Amino acid sequence: MPRRARRSSGHVVDGYLELMPLMNVLVALLPMLLLSAVFVKVTVIDLDAPPAAEAPAPAADKPSLALAVTIKDDYYVVEGQQIAKRVIQRAAADAGVQLAGALADVVVQHPENQEIMIISQPHTKYEDIIAVMDISREAGLPSVSLLGD
Amino acid sequence: MARHRTKRRVNGGSTQAPIPMTSLMDILTCLLLFVLKSVVLEGEVISPVPGVSLPESSSNSAAQNSIAIAIFDDVVMMDGEVIATVSKVVKSDNLMIAPLASRLRDAHEKSEEIAKLRGDTEEFRGRASIQGDREITFAILQRVMFTCSQSGYEEISLAVLEKS
Repeated sequence: MPRRARRSSGHVVDGYLELMPLMNVLVALLPMLLLSAVFVKVTVIDLDAPPAAEAPAPAADKPSLALAVTIKDDYYVVEGQQIAKRVIQRAAADAGVQLAGALADVVVQHPENQEIMIISQPHTKYEDIIAVMDISREAGLPSVSLLGD
Repeated sequence: MARHRTKRRVNGGSTQAPIPMTSLMDILTCLLLFVLKSVVLEGEVISPVPGVSLPESSSNSAAQNSIAIAIFDDVVMMDGEVIATVSKVVKSDNLMIAPLASRLRDAHEKSEEIAKLRGDTEEFRGRASIQGDREITFAILQRVMFTCSQSGYEEISLAVLEKS
């Protein structure tokens, strides 16, 4: 309707799109989405309950490996039955890589084992425990239980 | 755009210059797409408690509906309420945190009542997720985990931030 009026008065017809309503919608939508947006995703690490003392002993044909990583102040100790004990200095720049290597060796030697116990000191930081859990999971030991020293 | 304006003036029409909306629209559309991409459609099961600086992990397991217990600075919190102080709890030789245990038992009873009213026949499986600050020690984590497992919350998960 307005167009016809313009034509009759001799004005040049300019076909501008009416973008204002769309702009209004977008301006309302953006803050709403920004408020509900999650920029950092929270995930979880599932824990296994540590083996109970009264749990039945494993069958003789499948001896438990009892693989454990002990987090000490200065070093990690990887030990278990039928496994050579390994001590890795935490101060080393590649301590994480060495620990991952040691656990990967155990996984290669005992592919049936998926369990690992992480033994911490009372003052061990949570961040360090999570880092060891990550290394274990990436090495192929997804079933992690936490124990105190 | 410049040509249009000149024409208008020559023809004696309105001299009001239109706002260049197209570039603004482009910016808004890009922003909208970016925000839409970052929106998690499943909804957040766990929302981090303010003040807790969660550690980063490569784990990508999705969180399940569970009771959230936050440990940070010097407090242990459940449902936004301070339950215990870390310094006091750690001094004790007892691994059980009594106030937390009673709160968990209450929550357990409530869930069982709700399940009964709804007619659920499934056995109660207590799930607890611990939101621990990266600076907390194992001593407090161990006590909270022990209390959870003794109070019927045996499925324990640790909340972490997904490594980007």
